[in-house]
Order: sequence, then C-alpha cells, then structure tokens
Amino acid sequence: MTKLLAVIERDLKKFRRNPLVIAMSVLMPIVYLVIIGNSFQGKLKALPMAVVNLDSGPYAKRVIENLRAIEAGPDTFTIFNINDRKVAVEGVKNGKYKAALIIPPDFSKRVVLKSGPEAGLFLDNTDGISSGAIRNSVGSAFRFLGTDYVSVRERYDRVHMREINLYSKVDYYQSLVPGVVIMAIFLGTLTTGAFNLVMDRFLGIDESYLLTPLSKSDIVSGLIISGLLITTVIAVLILVLSMLITGIPFSRGIEQYISVLIVINLTTLGLLSMMFLIMGRINHPRIVGILSGFLNVILFFPSGAVYPVASFPGWLKAFAKINPEAYAVNALKAVLFKRAGLADISGDIGFLLVFTLIMLTSSIVTFKRTL
Amino acid sequence: MKNRHDKAIEVLEITKKLGRTIAVDAVSFDVIDGEFFGFLGPNGAGKTTLIRMLTTLLKPDSGGAIVAGCNVAKEPDTVRHRIGVVPQAMTSDLDLTGYENMNIYGKFYGIPRKERQERIKQLLDTVGLAARADELVAAYSGGMRRRLEIARVLVHRPEILFLDEPTIGLDPQSRHLIWEIIGKFRKRDSMTVFLTTHYMEEADLLCDRVAIIDSGKVIALGSPEDLKARIPGNDIVSLTIPDISSGIAGKIEDLPFVHKLDVQDNAVRVYVDSGAQNLPVLIEKVGEAGGKVMSATIQEQSLEDVFIHYTGKSIREEVKKVSFLVGAGVPQKWGR
Repeated sequence: MTKLLAVIERDLKKFRRNPLVIAMSVLMPIVYLVIIGNSFQGKLKALPMAVVNLDSGPYAKRVIENLRAIEAGPDTFTIFNINDRKVAVEGVKNGKYKAALIIPPDFSKRVVLKSGPEAGLFLDNTDGISSGAIRNSVGSAFRFLGTDYVSVRERYDRVHMREINLYSKVDYYQSLVPGVVIMAIFLGTLTTGAFNLVMDRFLGIDESYLLTPLSKSDIVSGLIISGLLITTVIAVLILVLSMLITGIPFSRGIEQYISVLIVINLTTLGLLSMMFLIMGRINHPRIVGILSGFLNVILFFPSGAVYPVASFPGWLKAFAKINPEAYAVNALKAVLFKRAGLADISGDIGFLLVFTLIMLTSSIVTFKRTL
Repeated sequence: MKNRHDKAIEVLEITKKLGRTIAVDAVSFDVIDGEFFGFLGPNGAGKTTLIRMLTTLLKPDSGGAIVAGCNVAKEPDTVRHRIGVVPQAMTSDLDLTGYENMNIYGKFYGIPRKERQERIKQLLDTVGLAARADELVAAYSGGMRRRLEIARVLVHRPEILFLDEPTIGLDPQSRHLIWEIIGKFRKRDSMTVFLTTHYMEEADLLCDRVAIIDSGKVIALGSPEDLKARIPGNDIVSLTIPDISSGIAGKIEDLPFVHKLDVQDNAVRVYVDSGAQNLPVLIEKVGEAGGKVMSATIQEQSLEDVFIHYTGKSIREEVKKVSFLVGAGVPQKWGR
C-alpha cells in the first residue's frame, strides 16, 4: 500500500509543479465551449438580406411586416431596404448580401386575383447553409397570405399539432456542455496516467523505478489513480464553469450530483485504462500527439455530443454502441437536462463499468515490467 | 537482517542477443562478497546489457546469474530488495527536490517513515547535498545529480551496489568526488560494488578485480596488477616513424629486449624491458634500417595497454567514434 501511495504521490507532486499544464487543462475545454457554441451554431443569425419592394399594395406590406417579425424574433436575417433591383442582385453577387428578395409591382394585385403571385429570391447558393436558412424563413413570411379571409368554421377542419416539450428548454449552447465535459475528461486522461509512463520512458527515468520492488499493478494502478484524481477535479471544475457560462440551472437534488460524479469518475477510469492499454509500450511523446487527434475524432464525434446518434449510418451507429464517450454523453445529458436519477442511467453506468473493468484488467496484464 | 553469501554474484554462461548482434556472449565470472569489481570495456562492448541482466531489467536468452543469493530470473523481487543500481542515464525526477526524490524511493522499498527520514538525512550529508536537499533537481549540476542518485539507491541499505559508468560525462573534479563517495560508502556499509567503466584509470584506482570485456566476451580477468603483469615487457616505448617499412619493423623486433611490436600507420608501440635504458639503442637501430624517429615517449604499462594487448585496439579510439548517446543502451530503446 505504501508503494502504491508513493507512486500516486510522485505523480501528483510532479503535476503540481507544472502550473501551465493545469491552466491549459481547464482553459482549453472552456475555450472550446465558447468558440463552438458561438461559431458553429444550431441556428443561423443576422444573415444580410436585401429587400426590394416595388409594390405599394397591402399584401406586399403584409410580407414586409412578416419579414420584420422574423428579423425581430428568430433573427435569421437582417433586412436592407434597397430601391434598385440591380443594385440588390449585384450586392448578392459581390457578397454584400446573402440573398435579395424582389417583390414585383403587381404582387398584391395578383394575390387578390389569384393569378399566380410571384416574388423573386436571389440566393448565393454557394453558401448552402445560409441560403437554405433564408429560403425557409422567407417562405414562412409568404405562407397563408391569401387565406386570411377563411371562415372560423373552416378552421376546425384543419389538423392542429400541438408541441409539448417534455423538459425545460435547452438551447444549443447548453446542449454542448456534456460534450465539453467529456472532452475535458478525454484531454485529462490523455495527459495523465499512461502519458507519464511514456515521458519517463522517453527521458529514460523508467529504468530506475523498474529497478525497485514496485509491482506491475503498483505502477499501473498508481498512475491510473493519480490520473483519476487530477482528471475528476478538472472535469467537475469544467462542468460547473460551463453550467454557469451557458446558464444551466443547478439541481437541488443530491441524487443528480452523485449521478454526475459517478459518470465522470467511471468515464475517466475507463478512458485512463484504455490509454494504458494503447500507450503501454509507446516511448515517444510524438506518437501520443498523433494518437490524440485520431482518438479524439473517433471517440468524440460519434458520441452524440454534437449530432444525434440516431442520425448516423448503420456502421457508425454500431461503433457508437461500443464507444464509451457515447454512453457518458447520454448519461450526462439525461442528468443535466432531464433531471434523471441513478436508476434512469443505470444502463450507461453498467456499460461504463464493464468497459472499465475490461480495459483495466487487460492493461495490467499486458503491461511489461521490463525495459 | 542480511544473510551474506561468499559469492555476491555468480554469472554462468549468460547470453543476450539484441537484434542481430550478440551483446553478451556466454559470459561467466564470480564476484566475491565485499569485493570492488570492475567491468572494463569500450562503449558497445555489452557492459550495460550485462548489468541490466544482473539487475532484473532484461531477461537473459540463455545462462543465468545468482545475485545476492537469488536467481535473477526466478526471484527478481528479492534481488531488487538486495541491490542498489545507478543506471548510466540520469534518472532523478527533475521537478522534484533532492529530498523528495529520495523519500519517494524510500517509500518504493517500504521503509518506515522514521528510519527513512534518518537514513535520507545521513545519506544526503555524506554526498554533500544536505544544504541543497530542498531545491528542485532541475537546478542541480550533472555531478550533483549523480551524487544524489548514488545516495538514492542506498536508501534501502543494499548488499550490492551496481554502478553503470557512474562518471561518464563528468568533469575531473566531480569524477574524483564520486570516487571518494563510493569509497566512503563501501567502507562504512561493507558493500560489494560492481562497476562498469571505459575509463582505465577509474578501474585501476578503484577495483580489486577487473574483467575486460570486448564484443560481448570477457577476454581477461584479474586484479589490475595481475593483468598488467601478464603483458610482456614492463615499459612501452611509443615511436613516431614516418614511412615505416617492414624492414625497419623487423629490425626492431629482433632486438633481445623487445617483447612485442604494434604498428599503426606512423605510430609504433614497442613493449620493452627497461625502456629508458634501451631507447637510444632503439633509435640507433631504426636509423641503421633507413628510418627516422620523429618523436619518442616512454610510459609504464596501464590497463589501457592490457586492453590493447588483448584486443589489438585502443579503448579511446572506440570512444571517439561513437556519440555519447551510444552508451546506456539509448539506441536500443527505439527498437524496443
């Protein structure tokens, strides 16, 4: 026991002596949250759109009002009123606007006469995401234009779909938080635990402690435990910070806190053991650098942290079934957004437990206690 | 507490292949309890590989060794408790202090707190680092680090101390300090010391017995005096003769007081009796044969000459050719 504690003590002391590493481990996931949350949004906002209204009739006015409402509400686009259609189209071509809407002089007349009213939407279709968003919003401004005279009775014939939100609202920024916590855990498990072994090998320091009576499991579990302590503290810190930043309310129930801690600890332990299995024989930090990018992509993106697993193609779905990060994201989302208790996430916890046990056993078995 | 054995180390036909080369080739020898034993050879001769096998870091391909009464292959853990090893590469943690380094290692051996603290204090005192014990090792010089490492491996009072090239890369002053410290510890704790080196004077000065190793094989073993006495002639005359011909060499070899002759380019090493007396005769003979002696030095035989005698090459030449990285098995690590 003294020996195991000494391995942990050595590792923690060394970590503490590197304040830059500590600062980076906390700062990077937070920066990630802020950058991704604000640059790669769920909904597009404030796309510049030129509007040329050549019709003074009531229906053109109605369309403009609808557009203004969208601008004030979801803010998909910002309207620029232009008088000349040529200027507007030119503006789309040279990138000043993402789109130009032209309402012709006979628009209202044609609506009244029901003779095929038309409006033109010039789109910069090289930017598919922006033009798609504008097409949808502008389309909704034209809906039901000619149907405002329908009788009250007729309305009962229309099918109504009522939207019932099961949980309190989660915006895109907030929905990133579980992923950011998992990313923090990934980074933590990559730079502690087995990585210290890689560095000791690289520096030739491993020779000395291999000469002591430390056993295989002393070395492996000692490094894993110190990595667990460090990574858990970082992950909890990141969780609290990102909840404050994105405005996720803190739960009052103790069960949620316990659930979150269990998920974070198990995920950390599982990934640390997996890293030990992968990096057990590596002796150069550069290999770890290459591995980190690779592992992050194959674990993080198929985890459901940014895109729902249900939309993956079959083969990727199959991979998500064995991806520990997918279970961790699922469990964290349930606890943070659905107020789930331990019983609700027992399946995720069960998988993480089995994954951890398999990885830990194989990493101790395969670890070679020789040079 | 300690059960001492007549033989501290018994090595029998130990062999290890690294890649395609046989690094250690069926080497056998014994080290007597309490002896200061030296393993002398150029870089790449197999010294580090041998020491790693004796200290449980590498498994021999065949043959074996009994170290401190235990078979290294069968009871590695007991062996690790009974030996202290200073590897060739510096292995202290730079971001820990000198004291912390020692304390952690003391815990690795499970030494109780009180005993550990006392022992560390005493060891740091002996190696002259007590005043700087609380500084980070990163601030230590190479000599200080080496001293710390020697102290560190003695925390658990080992029966045998292994030192792999302990003074490599150190300045002469630090080297002398290390020699002094090893001597002090050895006397106080009556330890067996096993040292590898490629410095002749180090082996000559410190060791009771020396084994000379080249290309994985032991080529000579004995006390430094014995080894030197085995070479014919008691002095070596080194002559520089431009354009030396076989005729000149033959004339020298025919002289009654000449035992042996080595020619390398312009440099001629002549193993002779009473060098100072016979030098004028040598120069005269060379002149008669049509050669000219440009310079001449006389020296007493050293272990260097023993090495040259057995291998036909100088240790120092080998040293010059390889970078310092070649020691300590560094290149092997990449293929591991």
